[in-house]
Amino acid sequence: MAQNGLASRLYNGEAGLNIVGRRKLWFGVAGVLVLIAILSFSIRGFSLGIEFAGGNSFQVPASVGTLDDAEREVNSALAAENTGVMVATTQKVGGPGGDSYELRTPQLTAEQATAVKAQIAEDLGISADQISDNQVSEAWGSQVTERAVLGLVIFIALVMVYLILRFEWRMAVAAVASLITNLILTAGIYSLVGFEVTPSTIIGFLTILGFALYDVVVVFDKVQENTRGITANNNQTYSEASNLAINQSLMRSLNTSVVALLPVGGLLFIGAGLLGAGTLKDLGLVLFVGMAVAFLTSILVATPLLALLKNYDPRIQAHNKRVLTRRGAVGRGEVAGKGAAASPVAQADATDEPVDQDAAALAGAAPKVGARPAGKRPTGARGGRPGGGGNRPGGAKRR
Amino acid sequence: MRPGRQLAVLGFIFVVLYLLVFFAGASGSWKDRLEPKLGLDLIGGTRVTLEATNSVDGKPPTAENLEEAREIIESRVNAFGVAEAEVVTEGNRNIVISLPGENRNLDDVGEAAELRFRKVLKAASGSGVAEAPPAATPAPSGSAAPTGSATPSGAATPTPAGSASPKVTSSPSGGQGGMAPASPSTTPTPSASATASPSAAAPSASAEPVPASVEEQRKAVEQKVGTAAWQAANGLQAPADLSADPSLAEKLKPFGTLSPQEVAVLPAQMQFNVPTIGCAQLDQRPPASISDAKQQVVSCEDGASKYLLDQAKVLGTDVSDADAVLDQTNAWVVSLDFTGDGQGKWTSLTREAFNNEGQACDATALGQDGKCRVAVVLDNKIVSSPEIQGVLTGNSQITGTFTQKDASTLAGQLRYGALPVTFEQQEAQNVTATLGASHLRAGLLAAGIGMLLVIIYAFFYYRLLGSVIFLSLILSALLVFGALVVLGRQIGFTLTLAGIAGMIVSLGVAADSFVIYFERLKDEIREGRSPRSAVPRAWIRARRTIISANAITLLSAVVLYVVSVGTVKGFAFALGLATVLDLVVVFLFRHPIMTMFARTRAFLSPRVSGLGRALPARNQPTQPRNPRAKEA
Repeated sequence: MAQNGLASRLYNGEAGLNIVGRRKLWFGVAGVLVLIAILSFSIRGFSLGIEFAGGNSFQVPASVGTLDDAEREVNSALAAENTGVMVATTQKVGGPGGDSYELRTPQLTAEQATAVKAQIAEDLGISADQISDNQVSEAWGSQVTERAVLGLVIFIALVMVYLILRFEWRMAVAAVASLITNLILTAGIYSLVGFEVTPSTIIGFLTILGFALYDVVVVFDKVQENTRGITANNNQTYSEASNLAINQSLMRSLNTSVVALLPVGGLLFIGAGLLGAGTLKDLGLVLFVGMAVAFLTSILVATPLLALLKNYDPRIQAHNKRVLTRRGAVGRGEVAGKGAAASPVAQADATDEPVDQDAAALAGAAPKVGARPAGKRPTGARGGRPGGGGNRPGGAKRR
Repeated sequence: MRPGRQLAVLGFIFVVLYLLVFFAGASGSWKDRLEPKLGLDLIGGTRVTLEATNSVDGKPPTAENLEEAREIIESRVNAFGVAEAEVVTEGNRNIVISLPGENRNLDDVGEAAELRFRKVLKAASGSGVAEAPPAATPAPSGSAAPTGSATPSGAATPTPAGSASPKVTSSPSGGQGGMAPASPSTTPTPSASATASPSAAAPSASAEPVPASVEEQRKAVEQKVGTAAWQAANGLQAPADLSADPSLAEKLKPFGTLSPQEVAVLPAQMQFNVPTIGCAQLDQRPPASISDAKQQVVSCEDGASKYLLDQAKVLGTDVSDADAVLDQTNAWVVSLDFTGDGQGKWTSLTREAFNNEGQACDATALGQDGKCRVAVVLDNKIVSSPEIQGVLTGNSQITGTFTQKDASTLAGQLRYGALPVTFEQQEAQNVTATLGASHLRAGLLAAGIGMLLVIIYAFFYYRLLGSVIFLSLILSALLVFGALVVLGRQIGFTLTLAGIAGMIVSLGVAADSFVIYFERLKDEIREGRSPRSAVPRAWIRARRTIISANAITLLSAVVLYVVSVGTVKGFAFALGLATVLDLVVVFLFRHPIMTMFARTRAFLSPRVSGLGRALPARNQPTQPRNPRAKEA
């Protein structure tokens, strides 16, 4: 295996990355990032689009002249209608149908907006039919957000139920925790970088939910499979089994993430590159950021957290103790067994779990009845069950 | 199931879907039939979101109130005559108006509903055609029918459907009033000169002074129609008989070309007296044009008769309830209850109408029993103009030859006035056709690029197996397109820009389910299984993962669809639809195709399938491997 490069080992699911074992590191990093994100929310806040502040935007074809011309004309139209406001921002937006200028103003009344639009059309010498306009009241953004938060809460509740039924409650908790981490980090990136938040962003934000869990489900599915009947033998701790699952499904996760990001990249490219603004860009950006973060959290947060939770399960606790005990015994040569005394993953278990090495060694001094030598296991760093047959120990063959 | 059978099921679904596309409710050329329903951000148009608030407690209105409010808005929007106008409720407080392909000013449609009770003073034809003699007025003539008696409703001769004028009586419980139904005779209205009533022609003394802005607008209209026409119209004391005076007809012709907005600013007398101003114009005046209770106004009933109406003595807010009920004779009537305050006003209005006091109602405007009528005016239109059958001191009933539906509609309209709902414009979007087309092209381009990237990646990573991905994506796209066309027609689903984004995102979901399946397959092959046995094994395991993962995507789409507002709905619907269709493709196409593929020799060649790369490890027996650990 050693002669293979990392890419190949990744491809074959044999990268042997110790992810679960370094969970303290991941949790630490995630915790700090979450803290930064939350600090950023409270200090910097978000840069909200007109949908939240309330406002109007007018879009005129670029054929009317330069952006400055358009701005001047719109400002004079605003003054002519006694609105008492000025153009707030201007932007040139592209599109396959020709470029146009987007000019935003603070909120006008519906009557003012109509009058201003007519005035702009007159000043620029174009028909009012060529001007697109948008009006959003201040309350609209908050209504969208309110519904989005409601949607978020309902979704998390439903998904909890689904995951509990499909997997078990610890997996559900770990999955939802990683989901929440994902959302906080994505929002943090938005806050720190200062990307504009629009209702479309919020839509996209809610869609990340599905994707973040998609990755988690793929990994957990594998974890569940690897740890089925794990207590029936003494070779692997739960953490090791789940770390193996991560390694085995790493390529899968990477692939699903890349493949999901590709079309979103197309969306972002067209939305930001060609159009410059609008629904496509907002959606594309939030999905891109969110899904990239989702890939990392599903691997670095969800599964290590699951292993941590699992280690508090008395059955798993007892099992881990047995495994470590046995390794302790093997280490002292009392039982012929695995080459390595304990995997790095297991060591991590030993330090943050109620199973301490002394106790393990003590228990190991008296080998359990029925402990048997395992087969030759040169690749001891990764766990595995002895024997070669196709039967799965401790569980019915899954069909 | 055999692969052949699964493919046959898929083929069947495909054929049925496209038969629906071409033949279910479709019309026009092949191209028209293939057109999905596009949202107005893609073809241009106007979209306004109104937020309804209960004006009493500031909370969201009840579902019932919201639906009634939607109906009001819909009737206002329909007055524009836009073919595909759509008014739908969204969430618990929004009403969304879309006018695809039309850019219009919808500022006024959100005005509060204005229900007014006004005495009918005069009637004239509302056809608006200059040549039409006003003699064709369908106003019922006055006949001296006995009133005030306790005759039970509907006891007398049956009235011919459609031509009966409704009447207001007191409820049976009130023990007062009654009605004497008779078919309204279609006697010609007396000539214009005979009906000229000086008292009614002059603006009522109590009328409010006209606001200056209206004065300005009137000047503009005056210029438009020309001074001669304006003066001729101003000089009219009664609806002009154009057949008798062709020169006048010529003069008044310009009024027929005025827009509804321009008509709205004219004085009520002029709107009424100029025969070239028809109901078509009057009905489309901007909302709230005639909401001022202190003014005499002109309005139409059924788009045919034009009435001059007195000041509004009773307002919609005076109504406490209105219901369609069956009376003792099993006829549908509308019962009308007033608030404490409103009851007093209603009693005095009915007294005035019954005794023909105050602003006298003209002979043309009398009901068939010779009593004045009171028009129920909703926004710009008269929904009903029952004859008053007595001084009504208690609850009242409007009788007529109503079907249950008519009665419910009228009751609903009467309740509008009592509807404690105000609207606020939340979002207004006006997209020009050019910008819409630009959006559509950008969306399609983004979808194309997304699909291309996925396919390139698939071929790069999975080699020939990429062609399976390619084919299923094409198949998915065709299914999604067919479903869009059919759903657009059947349930009115419109594809918006956000919807296209949803489709693009779902490409990722579709491709993800491949990755899961192929990676499983890779695992199985690496364990040393032959492709033939690896495919079904990998399938069984991947299936579970694919279903759970898609279930979660679907769950998020459904939750989004149910709770969200605005464009999110279109996005969620598209995402959900594409996810479901992806499952169909996974089960009925990819799996059978893979099963068939596994029987070929080329399948294992590393150059061909991309799976073979997993093999070399197996070919080196010295390699210390534990296949069990890889089992997946």
